[in-house]
Amino acid sequence: MKHYSQVAGEIGAYSDLPFWKKADRGDLAYVAYGLFIVTLVLVSYALGALKLLPYDPQQISIGLLNAPPGRAGHLLGTDFLGRDILSRLIVGIQAYFLPGLLAIAISLSLGTALGVVAGYRGGPADALIAYFNDLVDSFPRLVLILLVIAAFKPDIYYVMVVVGVTGVPGVASLIAGKIRFLRQKNFIEAASVLGLPAHVIILKHILWYNCRTLLIIQATLGMGEAILIETSLSYLGFGVQEPTPSWGNMVQAGANYFLQGRFWPSTAPALAILFTILGFHLLGDGLNNILEGKRKK
Amino acid sequence: MRPAAIRPIALALSREMALTALLLLGVSFVVFLILYLSPGDPFSVLLEGQMAGDTARAGIREALGVPKAWYAQYLSWLGNMLKGNFGTSIRTGLPVFGEIVRVGLNTLTLTLGSLLITLCIAVPIALHAAVRGDTALSWPLTMLAYVVSALPVFWLGYLVIYVFIHKFGLFPLISGSSGAQEHAWLYFMVPIAVLGIANGTISEVIRYLRDEMSRVMAEDYIRTARAKGGSVWRHAFKEGLLIPVTEIIASKIPFILGGAVIVEQVFNWPGMGRMAWQAAQDRDFPVIMGIAMVAAAFVRLGSLLQSLVYAAVNPRGPQE
Amino acid sequence: MQRIPVVVLLILAMALAMPAVSWPDSKRDGRPDGGILSYGEYGRPATLDPITSNEMISVRITELVFSGLVAIDEKQEIVPELAERWEASKDGRTYAFFLRKDVTWHPKEGEEARPLTADDVVFTYNIMMHPKTITPLKVRYEFIEKVEKLGDHAVQFTLKRPILNALAKFSFKVIPKHGPSNPLYLTREDPFVQRPIGTGPYILRNITADREVILVANEKYFRGRPHIDKFIAKPFADQNIMSQALMFNAIDMIVLVNPRDLPEIQGDKRFVLQPYNALSYAFFSYNLRNPLLADKRVRRAFTHAVNREEMLEAFFNKQGTIISGPFAPGSWAYNLDVQPLPFDPQRAIALLNEAGFTPGPDGVMQKDGKKLSLSLKVPIEKESEAVKRVVLAFQNYLKNVGVAVRVEFKEWQAWKADVFLEHNFDIILASWVFDDSADISSLFHSAEIGAWKNNFGGYSNPEVDGLIVESKLTLDHEKRRTINRKLHALLADEAPYTFLWTLTNYSGYHKKVRRVAIHPYKFFSFADEWFVPESEQK
Repeated sequence: MKHYSQVAGEIGAYSDLPFWKKADRGDLAYVAYGLFIVTLVLVSYALGALKLLPYDPQQISIGLLNAPPGRAGHLLGTDFLGRDILSRLIVGIQAYFLPGLLAIAISLSLGTALGVVAGYRGGPADALIAYFNDLVDSFPRLVLILLVIAAFKPDIYYVMVVVGVTGVPGVASLIAGKIRFLRQKNFIEAASVLGLPAHVIILKHILWYNCRTLLIIQATLGMGEAILIETSLSYLGFGVQEPTPSWGNMVQAGANYFLQGRFWPSTAPALAILFTILGFHLLGDGLNNILEGKRKK
Repeated sequence: MRPAAIRPIALALSREMALTALLLLGVSFVVFLILYLSPGDPFSVLLEGQMAGDTARAGIREALGVPKAWYAQYLSWLGNMLKGNFGTSIRTGLPVFGEIVRVGLNTLTLTLGSLLITLCIAVPIALHAAVRGDTALSWPLTMLAYVVSALPVFWLGYLVIYVFIHKFGLFPLISGSSGAQEHAWLYFMVPIAVLGIANGTISEVIRYLRDEMSRVMAEDYIRTARAKGGSVWRHAFKEGLLIPVTEIIASKIPFILGGAVIVEQVFNWPGMGRMAWQAAQDRDFPVIMGIAMVAAAFVRLGSLLQSLVYAAVNPRGPQE
Repeated sequence: MQRIPVVVLLILAMALAMPAVSWPDSKRDGRPDGGILSYGEYGRPATLDPITSNEMISVRITELVFSGLVAIDEKQEIVPELAERWEASKDGRTYAFFLRKDVTWHPKEGEEARPLTADDVVFTYNIMMHPKTITPLKVRYEFIEKVEKLGDHAVQFTLKRPILNALAKFSFKVIPKHGPSNPLYLTREDPFVQRPIGTGPYILRNITADREVILVANEKYFRGRPHIDKFIAKPFADQNIMSQALMFNAIDMIVLVNPRDLPEIQGDKRFVLQPYNALSYAFFSYNLRNPLLADKRVRRAFTHAVNREEMLEAFFNKQGTIISGPFAPGSWAYNLDVQPLPFDPQRAIALLNEAGFTPGPDGVMQKDGKKLSLSLKVPIEKESEAVKRVVLAFQNYLKNVGVAVRVEFKEWQAWKADVFLEHNFDIILASWVFDDSADISSLFHSAEIGAWKNNFGGYSNPEVDGLIVESKLTLDHEKRRTINRKLHALLADEAPYTFLWTLTNYSGYHKKVRRVAIHPYKFFSFADEWFVPESEQK
């Protein structure tokens, strides 16, 4: 669950300065880095999809196992089967990108729906949804994932469905909380007194004006989490399987050589994970600070 | 504790227990169903190494007295569980409850220990940022926290072991039986520290604590206290620190449990993660059900703690 | 290959070999007693008794704790163990064993040690064969009709029919009548499986919660107290860590060293690397139900397309032997005259052409519109770098001759269901482990095609069937050898498998442990003779 502070007394869009003028330098830097990473990810994804890669990521080179960076034109070296690491890193993005989007789509859509019902309707619906939230929250996610893998197959999409569903309570409670907050400020009452129909209130005023930044931020954090989960699972051997590259299974394959002093095969993908997750986190937090307003001293 | 505070706490406690029981029931049912529907025979682990035909496989169920229908199996498990009997592992024949308690405690130590480390790092940074605002120090610290949060724990573990081996000449693994091991305390701390640092939640914890603290500090009642010259700390502590900390702990426990699985493997820590994986692979029903229950109970423990703290601090009743 | 899921054909229960002379109390061989040996295992034992155990880790422990009626020594000859002598009837249908009178069971806490009697042997057989006992051993002993006690220290087994090398089968471990809590059948819930009592050189002192097993020397061992005071088996979840543990003296020995770590250990003067050959080999199996694979030219083409030498050298440091047929090269049945098919991609392509395949527009061979595109299913395992390498290299080699192979990693149970039940696969990678009988009947006989049977590729050849039956029936060892050599040549030609190699297993241990003789296919059989010089005992 991610919690963000409710800023008292500010509803709706700011009207005076454009946000980038008001924002803190640091936050802008965060967002800039975050956007840079997102662009990098998208570009790499495209490169991978279009197969514009320095080497074929599946091309095995038995004579060139675990080569250090720079050898024979491999910019980042080769792995335990002599395959080019750089190409595999680029293609490895596909392991989490679409599945991550799936997870985000599920948690945001279901979470919003539930949150709106709980917050707007209140009463018994709220209580029922709260129970559902607690139930999903209690589920030991790892056990669930292991079971799903055993029951069906080690497919990252199935796993991401689980991740998406377990992310629903977090989003739902945030949305519900926001709605309660708005209700507290008589925002909703005012709107309905003005004669606006319920679905307009919900869709336009609540969600679009007030929740969109929250959802965007949840999306960025969700992607960061999806990367972490996918790479961890692939590291353990449950996620993406060979020969498909995933940063997680690349770290695992390289880790076998780490203690012998050959760091590179596992460090390259580990750094990729580091910089990418960092990017998404910074993007999320930067946006949160800028858009949701930061307390100034 | 003030008498006025006891009743809400008792109420909160009983409410949580009832909810927990209901939730555990729900969890057990769903887990059982998934297990039942998955391919693979839970008893095939006994027949490994022997190609048994279908009749032999069916014979096992009869021999071991397993009821035929799936709901009968579930109900029989449930009945036993309520009596405190979690059954025995198909693979080892050992009682599930005892085994899980042992490994569960190990994982609990690892998880709580690492949470403690996370808090030890996060709380000072958050407080500093909230109270003193942006100073020259806070930016590098915050950046460090972000970087560390994005570090994959499975890589850090190997790095730490490498450093210990090659720089310190120590082999940081606890050896259960070999008598007195010098630096044993150190070896105990290493996996906890690794998980505490690299579980991916530090930056979020810092940010959450800092925001909550800032928010509370800006509240009217604090401003009044300040204006009156009273101690800010005492007033701000409960709402600004204690509650957010319990909230964030409660919400992060499931996440950290996941990281614990990896750390357990690298450092040979005898915890639940390995048992869970082995049991899932073997379709060891009793063990998986037991682990699901225990893991769910852990998570509930977090919410329980949270509700208790709310009730103790806010006798008027918990707010969401 | 160490971590390929080993589908064990038969597990031999082995006892200890016997040195030339023995005294009941101490070994008067001038070697010092004392010292502790801790060894690392990858994985953890589930049960510790010889009947329910079906993993190598557990079986190794039973070698230390239990004994059998007879044992097989390093020359592969039968030597006495619990039985000091035996008599076989002329028709080969009855075997009488006369037990030593000086053997006692490991004592329980505070109790006197009980002597071994014929009752224990009878008990062991009965409990093993009870329908409710779940054990991989039943199949091995179905040839026994009954067992009866002839006296307090004499037993007689009656066989249903005479079989070749029957004596070797009586090396099964004997368990005490007073051991299991259930006198009829043994399940994993019986405390005996976690606290075994045997007659072997080591007594189980304790097994910790994380499955670390501590064994102490049996002072009353009938061959003389073993030298080393204590054996400790330490389980590891990560092979790299286990190797480092050896380098750091956290353990003294690794049973099976990962080939990846061989160079590091080899270079370190503190350690000894000792090779031992298991009777096992790795192979790719083809599903002959697929019409594309039914033609033996196609299978031979695949074998020619694969460069086994290159793989053995690059992935396993050349530590192994490439095989040409269905036996391990150390086995008496192996036909050394049959050469492995050489690496020859041109020949592979020629064979495919001969079989009617021509390259399609995308480079993939096809015939009558059907592409030569196959699925290779592999079970997921944690430590499986070697498997991944072999499988992906195979895919690559076949791609070079125009065959498209799709590699699928599946979860273990799902894989087993696909291979043994549904027969839904084209190619798999696996290995077999054998005992000395070199019995391949369950692998290639047509009667062994079916659900959960070992001939999952569906290979059926009347000539092979005939030879297999003949081999089983003959009681003449030389004749059997000739038949097996014929089988070898035939199967090498037919290529229902692409036979890969037998890897040389290495055990790595600190040089302070001396006189380490490792049994050809059991590990600790001679462990009572290992010793540590006084200066190096801790």
